[in-house]
Amino acid sequence: MVTPVFDELIHPSTRLSIVAILASTDWADFSFVRDRLAMSDSALSKQFATLEEAGYVEVERAVSEHRRRVRVALTEAGRRAFEGHVAALQAVIAGAERSAV
Amino acid sequence: MSTPISETEARYALSSIERHRQQVLAEINVPAWYWLALAGGWVVLGVLADYGPAWAVIAGTVLFGAAHSTVAPRVLSGRRGSTHLSIHGDLVSRRIPFLVIGFLIVMTVATVGFALLLNADGARHPAALAGGVVALLVLSGGPTLMGWVRRRAERQEA
Repeated sequence: MVTPVFDELIHPSTRLSIVAILASTDWADFSFVRDRLAMSDSALSKQFATLEEAGYVEVERAVSEHRRRVRVALTEAGRRAFEGHVAALQAVIAGAERSAV
Repeated sequence: MSTPISETEARYALSSIERHRQQVLAEINVPAWYWLALAGGWVVLGVLADYGPAWAVIAGTVLFGAAHSTVAPRVLSGRRGSTHLSIHGDLVSRRIPFLVIGFLIVMTVATVGFALLLNADGARHPAALAGGVVALLVLSGGPTLMGWVRRRAERQEA
């Protein structure tokens, strides 16, 4: 049972999109998220820094095949926060539907 | 609990979340090299059956089976179709490996059946011909099967 908790940090549309993508993955490359959201490297890095500071994402910088590769994953805390946020959004809709009846 | 947003905003946020989940579901796949390697193996085994000595056929079959059982657990989940992400297990059906294995069993039966038919018809290289035809079926049928799996996952999530 997920407790609905509206998360101010996740809710802004860009961060919500980033976390929604990461919540559907175990991990994703930085480039995958960047391309899906059509963002610049610097703008996305800034968002990841905010999420990392909050303990919601882990950023792993690895060197593979002579290329730098950045992998990003939601932490347990990030996943819980996202699930709580989704539950809070659903609760808003359910509440509005109840009061409309 | 206080939520500082309207119902409309909440609906918009949920639809955005769903849209991004669909983007990830679109990545469910088995790597293309898996189907290529499988088709290649099929052709080689067919050619060996027609031209090679018995020991080579047995060795080839054992090698093919061993290589497949090493690779299959890593690729048949459908979660690593792209090298850019690993899809969360909750979003991907656990039946994908069984579907692929079922498909391969059907292809094996088709190969044997087709080779027997060709042999009965007097073809000179029935196993090689059957292997080649079924390899083409694997190349086209494998990705088609994964496309069906993806569409099903997207429908279930929507």
